This record gives sequence, C-alpha cells and structure tokens, in this order.
Amino acid sequence: MTPLLLEVDGVSKHFGGVAAVDDASFGVTEGVITALIGPNGAGKTTMFNLISGFMRPDCGTIRFAGRRIDGARGDVVARAGLVRAFQTARVLTRMSVLENMLLAAKDQPGERLGMNLIAPRRVARRESEVHARALELLDLVRLRHLADDYAGTLSGGQRKLLELGRALMVAPRMILLDEPMAGVAPVLAQQLLDHIQQLRQRHGATVCVIEHDMDVVMSISDRVIVMDEGRVIAEGPPDAIQRDERVIEAYLGRQGHADESQRGRPA
Amino acid sequence: MDFLNLAFWTFVASTAGIYAIFALGLYVQFSMAGLPNFGHVAFMAIGAYTMAILVVRYSVSLPVASMAGIAAAIVLALILGIPSLRLRADYLAIATVAGGEIVRYLAMNLPDLTGGPIGSIGLLGPGQIALYNGGWQRSLDELTTALSAVIGAAANRDLTMALMVWSIVLVLIVLFRRLERSPWGRVLKGIREDEMAVTAVGKNVFAFKLQALMLGAVLGAAAGLLLALQIGVFSPDDYQPTLTFYAYLILILGGMNRLWAIPVGAVVFSLLYAGTRFLNFFPLSLIDSGSRAFLRLFLVGFLLVLFMAVRPQGMLGNRRELLLEK
Ligand SMILES: Nc1ncnc2c1ncn2[C@@H]1O[C@H](COP(=O)(O)OP(=O)(O)O)[C@@H](O)[C@H]1O
Ligand SMILES: [Mg+2]
Repeated sequence: MTPLLLEVDGVSKHFGGVAAVDDASFGVTEGVITALIGPNGAGKTTMFNLISGFMRPDCGTIRFAGRRIDGARGDVVARAGLVRAFQTARVLTRMSVLENMLLAAKDQPGERLGMNLIAPRRVARRESEVHARALELLDLVRLRHLADDYAGTLSGGQRKLLELGRALMVAPRMILLDEPMAGVAPVLAQQLLDHIQQLRQRHGATVCVIEHDMDVVMSISDRVIVMDEGRVIAEGPPDAIQRDERVIEAYLGRQGHADESQRGRPA
Repeated sequence: MDFLNLAFWTFVASTAGIYAIFALGLYVQFSMAGLPNFGHVAFMAIGAYTMAILVVRYSVSLPVASMAGIAAAIVLALILGIPSLRLRADYLAIATVAGGEIVRYLAMNLPDLTGGPIGSIGLLGPGQIALYNGGWQRSLDELTTALSAVIGAAANRDLTMALMVWSIVLVLIVLFRRLERSPWGRVLKGIREDEMAVTAVGKNVFAFKLQALMLGAVLGAAAGLLLALQIGVFSPDDYQPTLTFYAYLILILGGMNRLWAIPVGAVVFSLLYAGTRFLNFFPLSLIDSGSRAFLRLFLVGFLLVLFMAVRPQGMLGNRRELLLEK
C-alpha cells in the first residue's frame, strides 16, 4: 500500500457545546482526488480549517508527508505544501488579478525587506520567473485577459478561479478546495472540473475537494469521505459510497424524511 | 507678523517636511499594511526624549543619542505590537492609543528623568537650563557656510534646515516607492486587504506586520528628532494625540494610498495650518486673538470636511480604487 500523504487521526473540534468535528480519522493517498461530502453543518469546512492550520484541534493528530501539522500555523502548513482555498473566495480586491497571483509565489528573496536594497538583481530575476509562471496559470484558469483588472471587479465564479490559480502559484503538493463550484456559472464550473482533473494528470497534485453535487463527486473523485455531524461515517470508492446504507440515510434522512431522522437521532 | 515674512515660511517649509516624514511612517503602517496606529506621536516623543536625556544627562554625542532614540522607538513598537498584532486590528488601535498617552503621562510625571511638565529645559533639574541641540546648531552653521559659498547671502540656518529636511523627504519617498513595489510591499498590501488569504499562501503575516510597525516607528522617531532639533526645546504638551491625527489628515489630503501624495498633503496641511494665522484682517480683527485661535482650528476642520466631501480620494488618489469593496 502506498503511504498516506495526509493522515487525520482522532481529531475533534468543539465550539461551545457543538462538536463540529468529532473523533474523525481518515487518510489521503498521494496523487488522488478525494471528495469530502456530507450534509450542511457536517463539519467539512471545520475539517479543512483544522488541516490547514486555521484552527487548532482539541485533540487528535494530523500528519502531512509524515510530519505533524496539527496546531501548526496556517502559513507553515502552506509552506509545507498543503494549500487551501476558501468556501467564499478570498481575493485581494484592491490588487490586480496578476498581483494576487504574484503575491503567492514561494522563495521570493524580495519578501525580505533588506534584500530589495542589497540584492535587487536577485529579486528581479526571481520576479520575472514568478511573473511568467503567473501568466501561465492565469491562462489555465482563463483569467489572463483580466490580469491588470482589480480583483474586486471579478464575478464570484471568477474569484473562485483566481483563488485556485493563486493556490497553484504556491506549487502545492496537496490542495484543499472548499466547494469550488458553488456560485460558479455552469460553463465556468465545467472548466473548473477540467482544471481539477488536469491538476492531477499534469502536475501529479493531490486534491481534496468539498462538493455537494453528487454527479460531480461521482465523476471526478477516486475516493469519497463522508461526514455527518462531525464524524466520518464512510470512506471508499465512489460507487461503493453511493450504495452505502449510512450515507443514503445521512442524505435522504435529512432531505426526504426530515421528521423521521429527527426522531431517530439523539439530540 | 507680516504675511510675506520669508523666515516664517522657511520655518513652515521645514516643519512641513518633518510632518511628511512623520506621515510617511504612518503610511507604511496604515496605508501599506492596514495597521491602525492611533498613537504614532508616541514614537516621535520617545525618540526626542531618549535623545535629549542622553545628550543632556549622560553627555552622549548627538549622533549616538539619535540612534538610541530610534532604537527606543523600535522597542516601543515591539512592546505595542507583539501582544496585539496576532489579534484583530482593533487591538492594535487600542494598544497604540494607550501607548501614546502612557508615554506622554510618563514624560509628565517622571520629572527626575524627563524634566516633567516643563519639558526638556528642566532636564537638569530646577535652576538650570538644559539644552540638547548645541551640536546640531554647530553642524547647521557649518552647512550654512558651505551653502553660502553656493547661493551667497541668501543662505541662513533655517534655509539649510529646510533644504536638508526636504532632501531627506525626497530620498525617503524614492526609497519607499521602491519598497512599496517590491515583493515585500506586495505582501503588506495583501495583508491590508485580507490577512487570511495571505496566510493561506504561506506568508507569516505576524512577522510582516511587526516589520511594518517597526519601520513606521523608525520614521516617526526620525521626525521627532528633527522637530526637537529644529525647535530646540519640547515638553510633554508637544506630543498631544492631535499630532497623530495631523498625520492622518496629511494622508487623507494627499490621497490615502499614494506615496507622492504625502509631501503634497504635508505642504497643504502646513499651509492651511500656518496660513490661517493670518486671518487677522477686518472684520475678523474685531475678535480677540484668543477666540481667533479657536476660529482658526475651526476653519482648518471645516476646510478639511469640505475637501473630503468634494474629493474623497484626496488630491492624488484614485477614486475607482476607493469604491471597490474589501
Ligand atoms: N467558527 C465557528 N464558531 C462556532 N461554530 C462553528 C464555527 N465554525 C463552524 N461552526 C459550527 O460547526 C458545525 C460544522 O460547520 P461546518 O464545518 O461549516 O460545516 P460544513 O462545512 O460541513 O457545512 C456547524 O454546526 C457550525 O455552526
Ligand atoms: Mg462548509
């Protein structure tokens, strides 16, 4: 068996009395597209926040590439090669689309204040590499024609694309996408799907994506992890998940027979 | 005083330049990195006090004492920044408001160290007049002699000071223009927009914010040193919170996010501030001079409000950028 790139082991996170993530464990293999699904409020976004260092778990361990990352700061996790995008895209509105991309580049000596004064050539050299890479990725997410516009003028869907492009600028080993299709026009959504698949094929990236649309999940993912009320209730290949009793109950129980599920569940 | 008094306007020019340096410090913190510093005046005060105390009481040479003044401002920035910069921006705002007032109250209430309410003149205790800028005057005189070789009899101490201050302003603006466009400046700008997004792409937001705060403190202290040296005496009352707001006014007048707008804002502010003292013609001359001073402040405020209503982006600002939501 290939070693796991990401290992989540017995992780919990409480907000007051609410167990947003409750003793969750799962693993993600390198080079695989994993879908994280579950009803609203299941704890998926919280799970991403815990993995990406934006929140600290109450207990449990998270390993990335063999290294403990639970409790590490968000920027440290990102530099380790695990980059997340947000459920509501966070673009830097009063910066240009291109600047949004350039900002995310790694290993830029010019991010040290003094380097700009003592080694401007080195900074400029790296800057031109980064610039070329940014334009390439803007082509990929089809935003190149908007490179000089303020990011604040983009539509919601374009912002999601920009955030994806920006995450790729970090050259991540693994990327976490929180509902990348939500609020994106169908045409753009299809493009996004293509990108996500290209990411793995061309760049060998590992992708973990939170997605609601079951058709999308079934078509792009190699593995599916299902969460409900903070717990991981199932994990496996898409077709097996589709037939899983607990999954059907978690979904249909909420949507089809809301009152029945309420009775069946402890408060 | 005559409206066309050249010496007066030369003095105003130096002060405007010093205000520009002071406002540049705030620009780095607030405009570039989005850090709300409401106690910028504290950096000015701590720089001036450290320098004067070292020169007068410990006979330290002026250059060394000035460096120590700047170092003291950096220490203050660390004290204010380390506990508050990891939290939401409001915490820095509170810390700096408090920090500014604490520095002023300490200066007021530690007479043995600071000369107390009478300020730098009392640094050697009662009965003695303390002066810290003898060395400065001598250097300025030497420079003036050199200057008179070039421009003749027009050279004088005030003019030398004004030229020197504005040369510093120019060099700083060019330098910071470069820093603003550097990858370092880009990260600060990103932090100003959304620090979570910047964290998510792997930047240590706290470290960048602390650097911006420290750099702004250095500029604030440098302005404090120049002002103290220009005037030759200072007291805690010279470091009222209003000074911080003057720096904000300068940024707003020029147009919040434009570097070149700072000297423009500083000049306009100084003209408004100094110029309104000439409002002593009829019928205003009927009002006594004390009320006229209030009238003057009222007028400065009124003109600013009017200005903001007509041109919210400042003189050189970009209206489109202003209208974009965060
Ligand atoms: N920052 C927070 N503070 C308090 N409660 C939170 C916070 N974030 C999430 N929650 C709660 O945790 C639960 C899981 O939320 P979330 O992880 O956003 O679910 P999902 O992304 O699966 O829809 C919800 O009950 C939500 O209200
Ligand atoms: Mg969510």
